[in-house]
Amino acid sequence: MRIGDFHASYRHDEALFDTRVQRAWFAVLVVALLAFPFVGGAYFVYLACLLGIHLISAAGLNIMTGYTGLISLGHAAFMGVGCYTVAVAERAGIPFYLALPLAGCASAVIGLVVGVPSLRIKGLYFAVATLAAQFVLGFVFREWESVTGGVRGANVPAASLFGFELAGDQRIYFLIVPLAVVMLLGARNLFRTRVGRAFIAIRDRDISAEVLGISLFHYKLLAFAIGSFYAGVAGGLWGYFFRVATPELFGLPLSVFYLAAIIVGGLGSILGTILGATFMTMVPELLRAMVGWAQALGVQDASVFLASIRQVVFGLLIVGFLIFEPHGLAEMWRRVRRFFHLWPFRT
Amino acid sequence: MDWLLLAEFSIVGLLSGGVLALIALGFVLVYKGTRVVNFAMGEFMMVGAYLFWTTHVFLNLPWWVALALTLVGIALLGAVVERFVLRPLAGQPVISIVMATIGLGAVLHGVAEAVWGGANLSLPQLLPRTPFMLGEILVPGQVLWSFALAVALIAGFTAYFHYSKGGVSMRAAASDPVTAYAMGIDVRGTQRRTWIFAGVTGAVAGVIVASMTSLSPTLGTVALGVLAVIILGGLDSIAGAIVAGLIVGWLESITVAFVGGQARDLVPYLVVLVILMVRPYGLFGTRDIERL
Amino acid sequence: MSTFDRRRFIGSGVAAASAAALGAPLRVFAQSGEIVIGAAPPITGVFAFAGAGLHAGLGDWVEWKNAQGGIAGRKLRYVAEDSSYKVDQSVAIFKKIVAQHKPPVFYGDSTGWAKAIAPEVSQLGSLLATGPSFSSDLADPAKAPYYFMPGPTYSGQIEILLEHASRSAAGATKPSVAFVYSDTEFGRDPIAAGKAKAAKLGIPVVLEIITKPGAVDVSAEMIKLRRAKPDFVIFHGYVLAPIPEFIRQMREAGLSSRGMGTIYSMDKTTIDQMGAVGAGFLGVMPYRYSFDSQKTATMELIREVGSRKPGNPWQTTFYTQGWLVGMIFDQVIGRTLSAKKELTGPNMKAALESINKWDTGGIFGVPISLKSHAIPVGRTYLVTGKSIEPASDWITIG
Repeated sequence: MRIGDFHASYRHDEALFDTRVQRAWFAVLVVALLAFPFVGGAYFVYLACLLGIHLISAAGLNIMTGYTGLISLGHAAFMGVGCYTVAVAERAGIPFYLALPLAGCASAVIGLVVGVPSLRIKGLYFAVATLAAQFVLGFVFREWESVTGGVRGANVPAASLFGFELAGDQRIYFLIVPLAVVMLLGARNLFRTRVGRAFIAIRDRDISAEVLGISLFHYKLLAFAIGSFYAGVAGGLWGYFFRVATPELFGLPLSVFYLAAIIVGGLGSILGTILGATFMTMVPELLRAMVGWAQALGVQDASVFLASIRQVVFGLLIVGFLIFEPHGLAEMWRRVRRFFHLWPFRT
Repeated sequence: MDWLLLAEFSIVGLLSGGVLALIALGFVLVYKGTRVVNFAMGEFMMVGAYLFWTTHVFLNLPWWVALALTLVGIALLGAVVERFVLRPLAGQPVISIVMATIGLGAVLHGVAEAVWGGANLSLPQLLPRTPFMLGEILVPGQVLWSFALAVALIAGFTAYFHYSKGGVSMRAAASDPVTAYAMGIDVRGTQRRTWIFAGVTGAVAGVIVASMTSLSPTLGTVALGVLAVIILGGLDSIAGAIVAGLIVGWLESITVAFVGGQARDLVPYLVVLVILMVRPYGLFGTRDIERL
Repeated sequence: MSTFDRRRFIGSGVAAASAAALGAPLRVFAQSGEIVIGAAPPITGVFAFAGAGLHAGLGDWVEWKNAQGGIAGRKLRYVAEDSSYKVDQSVAIFKKIVAQHKPPVFYGDSTGWAKAIAPEVSQLGSLLATGPSFSSDLADPAKAPYYFMPGPTYSGQIEILLEHASRSAAGATKPSVAFVYSDTEFGRDPIAAGKAKAAKLGIPVVLEIITKPGAVDVSAEMIKLRRAKPDFVIFHGYVLAPIPEFIRQMREAGLSSRGMGTIYSMDKTTIDQMGAVGAGFLGVMPYRYSFDSQKTATMELIREVGSRKPGNPWQTTFYTQGWLVGMIFDQVIGRTLSAKKELTGPNMKAALESINKWDTGGIFGVPISLKSHAIPVGRTYLVTGKSIEPASDWITIG
């Protein structure tokens, strides 16, 4: 049972890490993350990099959808904008530490362009508008050959730091993971500020928020722009990681994947983002392992069903979590934590 | 300006819009009855078409038996979905319902791929194919008959909603569930029936689309474009669905004529973006008034 | 109270769980001396009709070769995982198999995959890649030094079709041609080269139609086609749909245009699905069909080995392709090992390029060489009511 944890000042109350124990754990996490690529196998490093990209993107989506209530079905297209921006920037010789923020800004600008007409409407209509944006951007990716390379896609050279090429999963890990940690901390921090609280107010009761003096349009636009910025950076990292940008990569299925990740993880919490993204990245791996075992046990052609099983499990996870655990894995975790906090008393 | 060419494209486009209107009807039915946009409509279409293929092509039953069985199967699916997916989520925020239907769509897609495989299957030609000549203009037979079929079904549904007891009670439950309960209308039953009708509409549309093109698990993607259509027409207006279906069918045809086939799928979404800026509730939709 | 102190729990818990779950059964390294052949074929998904055959063909060839004693006395192991024709999956499978087994050769699933892994393959310098893509982008030893394709590029295939069209004209007027292709990399790849070749042959290209890949309502496109009245319509970039629908509508509109297709439209299973409208369809196929009246050594071997398993798709040209890929791997690895060299990228590339006038035992009707990492040989075929008959001799392009 946790006792003796008193806050004596507002600053202390608001702090992200308020006990020495927490800070110690975080330091351990940082060390573990730094050491991981040297001890983990090559495939796990690959997964970690992929997870890092998913985390950044899911965090952006959670800011938009979980905290502000704007349902976006076009998140993957904004990632695509970031990815292609990086491709174009690298072609122009811009190094990654400028190209990535540029990618984020490009996505944010596109987000503003999409948001200005769409944010005057709410809920479902806005969702359909983002769906339309997804397809329009997909069309642009396919047809604007001079910039995006059209259906052939664009090759992205490796990120290089003054000649040191970040080629290979081990090296790109040290770009992706620290960036993911920083951006997640940033997102968490956002919700300690006035802006973040305005977002939450808009989600909960936007008319009341407006009455309280929060300009709905401006804050919604800001939320959309920030979310798109995250998507753009994630897309840019995707470009450096996969080294190729094609229109098919950034379609509706990827948008749905991120929505599923934040719903499964828990809307409106950064912990939910982490849990959800990790879960959704690991589930296909687990399924593949299970199919592998099934095949080893003699079930013929089990792998043929892997693709369909993955879809079915994906859909069932979404529907299942929505019906039985609407606040996601984060809520399940909080329940477990509450149990241990209050033990031996009952929750 | 080749007027003849324009006329030919326009007529073919309008007639192709008939099937789009039918799919739109399915969306509008569900929205009017339960305030839910069914993102899984495309998958209902797809499952309906696959059921028809199984009964007609695989089991070789005569087409009207196959169709009847298909409709029964889809009705069952609609009822199950309503009971086990939508009802537990009643009252949840919009995003939950949207994601639930999307998740449902993924499940149906995966099951279809597992059972029938991802390859393209062909349905036999159900609609008469002889082309129809309007002077110099050639209208493919299938396009004309699909339009006729769509019109017949939509007319049938509209008549049902206006003149039959079941239809009127569905409209009542949709507009004011509390009063409907008070009047003794089985609101839960009407919601179930709404989903069944939507599924049936989708299945028929799916069979038509599959027989005109081909059958694969990706058949449902056309429904997303139709979603854009109903935004144009108004989410809760049947007349709007019809008009919007025809307009988008016409626009798609004109796009193919003057821009090219690659832009064809883009048209509904551009239309949506424009409409949302100008008239967000669509041409015939009712304006949502939010109260605290 | 913040939740950050729990992050480590979750992070390490997940990592531990996944390590336990995945580490154990999958950490099976190739035994020393064993040569691993990696693959990420599209067994499910839109290309399933081809991927299943490719997978079976390559896998059966590995089994057969092992029964013969392997390559230079070393046994082979075939490690494959379905990619569903999705690039992110095939890339993931590639990375996983390369990390665990270090194969010297790999069979992928698409052009997108080949381009995505190209930088890594160049960096590794230890493997040779191939796949079912015949995109001309990849038949470039300068840009893609470690990729090869077991047939002619799509541009080459369209060239063969155009040559056939040109020769079929009786008089002086050249026949007109229309291109109908899908808005994908697969579809768009050869069109520019095709138009250039048509210009060189003096064949007018009267229409270009681009559609979405797969099932689409073609009534609007037909309006244009009806007015253009081409003599030949070349379809490319489709699996099956919407080719039959186009042809049916063309006949109904009174057009007598002949349809023509490239390799992936020309397997018998696809042609059969066209039904009656397929009669008169022309196409290019680099390989001999399994039902070809001329009996050859390799095709008989394929029949013998493939038909042992019930339900094996040995009759398809995809199985033939998979088998051929195995044979090419055999040549490359065999030549490298017999020259007492290591199985590295540059060595295998040299071995690949040394394949000159190689007799495939009947898969190709003429001895082949690898030009520009592709095999520019093929034959046109005509679909008759009963079967698919050769309509020309074996053509070598370029």
